[in-house]
Amino acid sequence: MKKVTVIGAGNVGTNCALFIAEKNVADVTLIDVKPSYAAGKALDLMESGPIRDYDVVVKGSDDLYDLVYSDVVVVAAGKVREPGMSREDVLDDNLDAADTFVREIAKFAPDAVVIVVTEPVDAMTYYILKRTGFPENRVLGMAGALDATRAGEIIAEKLNMAATDVEAMFIGGHHDEMIFLPQYSRVTGIPVTELLSPDEIREVAQKVKNAGHEILEMMKRATAFYAPAAATARMVETIIRERRRILTAPVYVSGEYGLADLCIGLPILLDKTGVRKVLELNLTGEQKEALVKSAEVLRKTQEKVTSRLQEVAS
Amino acid sequence: MKKVSIIGAGHVGATAGLYLLEKRIADVVLVDIVEGMPQGKATDLSHAAPLRKYLNKIAGTNDYKDIAGSDVVVITAGLPRKPGMSRSDLLGINAKIVGGVAEQVKTYAPDAVVIVVTNPLDVMCHVVKEATGFPKNRVMGMAGVLDSTRFRLFIARELGVHLSDVVALVLGGHGDDMVPLPRYTSVSGIPITELLSPETIERLVARTRKGGGEIVGLLKEGSAFYAPASSITEMAEAIVLNIRRLLPASAYLEGEYGLNDVYVGVPAILGENGVEKVLELDLTDAERKALHASAGSVAANVAQWKEMKGKE
Repeated sequence: MKKVTVIGAGNVGTNCALFIAEKNVADVTLIDVKPSYAAGKALDLMESGPIRDYDVVVKGSDDLYDLVYSDVVVVAAGKVREPGMSREDVLDDNLDAADTFVREIAKFAPDAVVIVVTEPVDAMTYYILKRTGFPENRVLGMAGALDATRAGEIIAEKLNMAATDVEAMFIGGHHDEMIFLPQYSRVTGIPVTELLSPDEIREVAQKVKNAGHEILEMMKRATAFYAPAAATARMVETIIRERRRILTAPVYVSGEYGLADLCIGLPILLDKTGVRKVLELNLTGEQKEALVKSAEVLRKTQEKVTSRLQEVAS
Repeated sequence: MKKVSIIGAGHVGATAGLYLLEKRIADVVLVDIVEGMPQGKATDLSHAAPLRKYLNKIAGTNDYKDIAGSDVVVITAGLPRKPGMSRSDLLGINAKIVGGVAEQVKTYAPDAVVIVVTNPLDVMCHVVKEATGFPKNRVMGMAGVLDSTRFRLFIARELGVHLSDVVALVLGGHGDDMVPLPRYTSVSGIPITELLSPETIERLVARTRKGGGEIVGLLKEGSAFYAPASSITEMAEAIVLNIRRLLPASAYLEGEYGLNDVYVGVPAILGENGVEKVLELDLTDAERKALHASAGSVAANVAQWKEMKGKE
């Protein structure tokens, strides 16, 4: 059985473990800094195993040594936003959190593919990539798969059709400048441009941008976690089961779409090796401009990350 | 609990029953004229229930009374194609069988949505619509989902991507008359026209057109039933659970795509009322022409059936 280690046994991490166990994808080790916290979550999950027919084992730990033999590491540790905060506001705290486990990932799970969920995801992906020193294909973020599933639900509701038939694509940074690609978003193969008016398409894009914020405003003390965990589990499953899926994710670019030395959401072919390749799509002029603008916004956040990297190095 | 009756408990019908149970969609009744056969298959399936955790009832019968109260009736009864036989060869004999079944459906399950599977498919839809007198939304044919699932498999294998990421839209009649729409066929939203050369697409289309024949050729005796049964289950699920899936289905057209009084494969929203809506795509001239040619071939078969009927 393959092994997935999830760092951070909060809502996203634990539900990610749940979805992985429900589909019997892999054994899961949940690790959290809080003593015995992850062990409690894991035991609770395993106690549902006899009813839910788990073949896999879920373990909890507060010892980073338990990263050993991981095929995939999910980073879901750190602070989440509170109402009124932006994703960037948690950057400093989450860089601190990452500092407590990045060396251990590199040491104990040197061959793993790392999926970063912690916000701000593009910057955190860049930081963890640089700190682990892993090859660029083995560190990626989770964002586009979440935007896609949210858009699927929003589009399906608008059309009064089944969400399972909808696929949607967002690229760019996982912030307010994320870019909806309606020409690559379809219902049973039919582009949404043929089913929705331009106004409705703008509305869908806006709703997806606000989706995380909307849930935060409702719950006040927690951010969304079911859909993020489901999207993460989908990526984990693709890697573990050695499938090849096309989805968007924050990845390191070196020239693709004219961008370099940055982590940003782009369509990729995901397989057992991680990012097998970045796919170059036919963007409209407007979409290309939006991507450049989105990259600029990310670069500002990344400056902080770069200075942190320099501090660590010195 | 919802109820699906399947007329014809051969490989296609029984396997559709299996899938409906596996997905816990509805109670299932298998009906066949062969005495003991549907009962035997239903009992066998019921014996798997503890292992497979079925929650629904499964029954086999030779008596059409048992289809009473069905939400969906699937008609698979008829002769299968033999190697070398065209779908049209089957027309005369299957029209009689299906016409007889439809009379029973009208009597015992007057409120059901009917999914026709028997070939030649589009003509059999006309036979059922006429014999039952049901409104057009409650009689549809299964072909496009099957052609699409085959096309999807071939595309996924060609590109080495996950099956679930490939979505295909196929219009027109079944098999040789199929009208594939590469523009509307995509991998995670990316049209295959950006991923495969026209020659490769044409090769995969050709294989899809002959998809049924390929299996008949391999099996020598009998024809495909796993993929057809999965396709039936996909449609039945959408109707029984009212999940409004957008699926290609053979639907009765009255003006859509410039076609009238003909069953042909089009994108349709399937829900509790059967065909909730036919979607009209913005087809290119070539696609439109192909769809009209396909409909013309269905109309010719319908005319042939009407002529046969007239001679009796």
